[in-house]
Amino acid sequence: MPQELSLEELCRLYEQMCLIRLFEGQVQRLASTGEVPGFPHLSTGQEAVAVGVCANLSDDDMIFSSHRAHGHVIAKGSDPYAVLAEILGRQDGLCQGRGGSMHLVDAAKGVLGATGVVAGNVSLAAGAAWAAQLRGEGRIAAVFSGDGATGAGVFHETLNLASLWRLPLLLVCENNGYAEFTSREEHSNVAKVSTFAAPYAIPSRTVDGNDLLVVHEAAREAIGRVRNQEGPWLLECMTFRMAGHYVGDAQRYRSKEEMEAMKEKDPIVRLGRHLAGRGVPAQKLDGLMAGAKGRMEAIAERARKAARPDPATVLDYVYSAKLAAEEN
Amino acid sequence: MKITFAQGVAMALSEALASDPNVLMIGSGFMGLSPSARDLLNPVLRDYPERIFVTPISELGLAGAAIGAAACGQRPVVDLGTGSFILEAFAQVANEAANIHYMTGGQTSVPATFYSLAGIRGAGAAQHSGRMQAMLGQVPGLQVLAPGAADDAYGLLKWALLESQNPSVFLSHSLLFDETSEIVAGAAMLPVGKARIRREGTDLSIIASSIMVARALAAADTLEREHGVSAEVVDLRTIVPLDRETIVKSVAKTGRVVIADECPLSFGVAAEVAATLAERALSHLKAPVLRLAVPDVPIPYSPPLEAELIVTAEKIAAGALRVLGR
Amino acid sequence: MQRQDPAERVAAMLRIRRFEEQCIRLANEKRFPGHFHVYIGQEATAVTACEQLRAEDFIFSTWRNHGHLLARGAAPDRMMAEILGKSGGYARGKSGTLHIAVKGLGVPATSALVGGALPLATGAGLACKRRGAGISVVFFGDAALEEGAFYEAMILAQVWQVPTLFICENNSIPPEQRKRGQFTSSTLPAARLMDVPQSLQVKAEAVDGGDLEALSECFARLVAEVRGGGGPRFVEVRCTRWTGSFPLWPELPSGDWQLDWAFGGKPERADLATWIEQSDPLALYLKKIAAAKSLERSKVTAIDQRVKAEIAQAVRFALESPYPAAREAYENVWAGAKQ
Repeated sequence: MPQELSLEELCRLYEQMCLIRLFEGQVQRLASTGEVPGFPHLSTGQEAVAVGVCANLSDDDMIFSSHRAHGHVIAKGSDPYAVLAEILGRQDGLCQGRGGSMHLVDAAKGVLGATGVVAGNVSLAAGAAWAAQLRGEGRIAAVFSGDGATGAGVFHETLNLASLWRLPLLLVCENNGYAEFTSREEHSNVAKVSTFAAPYAIPSRTVDGNDLLVVHEAAREAIGRVRNQEGPWLLECMTFRMAGHYVGDAQRYRSKEEMEAMKEKDPIVRLGRHLAGRGVPAQKLDGLMAGAKGRMEAIAERARKAARPDPATVLDYVYSAKLAAEEN
Repeated sequence: MKITFAQGVAMALSEALASDPNVLMIGSGFMGLSPSARDLLNPVLRDYPERIFVTPISELGLAGAAIGAAACGQRPVVDLGTGSFILEAFAQVANEAANIHYMTGGQTSVPATFYSLAGIRGAGAAQHSGRMQAMLGQVPGLQVLAPGAADDAYGLLKWALLESQNPSVFLSHSLLFDETSEIVAGAAMLPVGKARIRREGTDLSIIASSIMVARALAAADTLEREHGVSAEVVDLRTIVPLDRETIVKSVAKTGRVVIADECPLSFGVAAEVAATLAERALSHLKAPVLRLAVPDVPIPYSPPLEAELIVTAEKIAAGALRVLGR
Repeated sequence: MQRQDPAERVAAMLRIRRFEEQCIRLANEKRFPGHFHVYIGQEATAVTACEQLRAEDFIFSTWRNHGHLLARGAAPDRMMAEILGKSGGYARGKSGTLHIAVKGLGVPATSALVGGALPLATGAGLACKRRGAGISVVFFGDAALEEGAFYEAMILAQVWQVPTLFICENNSIPPEQRKRGQFTSSTLPAARLMDVPQSLQVKAEAVDGGDLEALSECFARLVAEVRGGGGPRFVEVRCTRWTGSFPLWPELPSGDWQLDWAFGGKPERADLATWIEQSDPLALYLKKIAAAKSLERSKVTAIDQRVKAEIAQAVRFALESPYPAAREAYENVWAGAKQ
């Protein structure tokens, strides 16, 4: 029986989605002024997946993400300032500037990492789930990947292992129809990623990833079962990314009609409509968005001014502890 | 007590499993094709079934699983099989395990051990004769352990399983399985990152690791017996961390050096040792360094072809004489 | 290479079996070092598959390649010399048993890694597609489905719609399940092995590896579909492992296979006798054609004598072939370089 989310809770989730949207907007803005090193990957348009899934996870649960991780990390509870500082390569960043956009880690919040390698985290997440299983504390691991990851052999190896060992692993596949610049139809005959889970008897569901309520409910069910030691689950969320593959991608491979259609399905707009329909005044919703906007602007200003790491520390953290030879 | 290299590996696995419940064994093919060596693992398989995982052939997936588990507090050792197979898992070993601590600004460590039955074992042809230590040494953040004798097989593996905070590749050489050493139960091992002088000498230094240690010692015996040459044999023990101090100190003493390595010659371990000497010991050298390594050739099957390429004790002795100008 | 004639089929299977027996004998005599793998018990698969292939087609195999290469037309003497590491071998001793390749027969490379050749076969299929001629066929074992490389190769083959036939020789099947049944494995949780390629949208089916005629019909149909531009296909050939393959190194329980065992005789070893009766594709075929009177027993005996003589000559050639000169170790690293 699906539990109804309270209006208060829903508004909190709405606000979180707004924060992510605005966060990505700030990243895009800062990138355009040359203040972001490298090429960050934005999750604009995919907020409902991050928020809907992470709302069902605790700090003790672990998430792994892909190269498009900003939304997941914030939804899991990381401090947006530390996240943005990391993206800007500053000392205050989550990883003291060492990792950047594609290596966001916040161990205290169970964010065990983004990765720059497609499908790079899928088997790591299985390992984390395995550790959780061995410790028997009821924690689970979730990994967010894109539909492009299903082309990697390790994705299938991980399905095999997770099924064999009945790991407490939730695979969340954000099927946004594109692997980098290649549409799914071009690189796969398999439209739905959940098809791959079938031979291993891994339960799966394919849902509308732009409907926060649907995602939240599907995630709640899946996570409940995974936590109940029923083995791995695959949740496929059909969504789209409104920004390009990376900041700077002009998206010439997508038609104008496609881009227009996306606006209709904007997950924030849809949740807003739902809340309005349940009596939440427009003023309140606007206030939530405006509050998030103000917060993000302050964060951005602070992050831009944050100190950069000292080059003299470049060798720190290569190894976990001083090696014996160094101490002799 | 005297143990063989294979016994050392089995003992390290057994003692590690006994002393730390976080230690896991992924796979159980650590002893390759040797039936007697495989039997050594039977007690372990019998006593700790819940911590030993039979695996499909998925080096990539399994290496990644080991890394993920290690990042969450387990201490896994994963059998990646015959030397070259580590390349199946290279994406995880090099692109994930080695980078995590640095990329996270120090938050997460990965105490995973990748066990590799590496080296030219004889008639393995090009894909079953892998020597990966130089390639692996090029991955910042990855320790490369290359024991050359039974005492270090035991000590280094046990250290990797129980104490190391970083990912390690443990290079086991199947031709070393029957080599013996004395070990004293409970004695502390020489620290990781220190090379060991296996034989003291004055006329030249032979720098060796893994299978080359036994061959270097045999060459040193020949040199003394037949040519009155006193050769010092330096056992590197670990490729990363590399004990440059001991290498330089030895060559500063003897003035001449032969570097024996099983990797392909170019961009190899021997090259790194040679470069170190060029940078730090040039004034001590009475002759140019001599690298004896396997030529840059995929390993062929036929015995006379393979024999042509291998660095043997005879070649090491001949090289030593060359360096001595005889 | 059409070999539908029973006499040719028997000869082809016997050629493989007698060749492999000599390998085991030579290994026991320490004539060549290293590990090796024999194809005894699976001969019908290679023979019937290769019947459908043309000169322009490609084959990929594994470390268990002798059967495939012989069925494809490789000369036993050059193969044996290669296995012994002699200069008369196809690679002048460089590959040994693990990597025997014969470019002229459409076997460009042989990988000894589980799943190693699967991506190669997809690439060869792509080349065939671009050329407008030929297909690629790859033989592999059930363990390859545990490797990421399998998925990657199949996914690509399907997306690119290449003319590649994936032949999985699953030799872990109990005899009563060869015609239909599950696949119980401790390392692959799929209920049926075919479910896996099917989930990748590659058409898949299963066939009894002990039934030569079923194999023949299956391969004829699948190769035609692949050749006709229907995209890749997957077939699980369900076999029961030969008893001599269970030890770490192959053994000949009860010595060389006796023709008599297909005509009522029994070897001493009970497990081998059971295997021959239930699972030996050669014995089962001989029994079938004897019942159908397609080939007289005396002719079968004559074929066996001829094949044995051919293999004996191959062994002599290999033993007498000189080892390559040591300097050859440096040759062939690079294509086009001066030797």
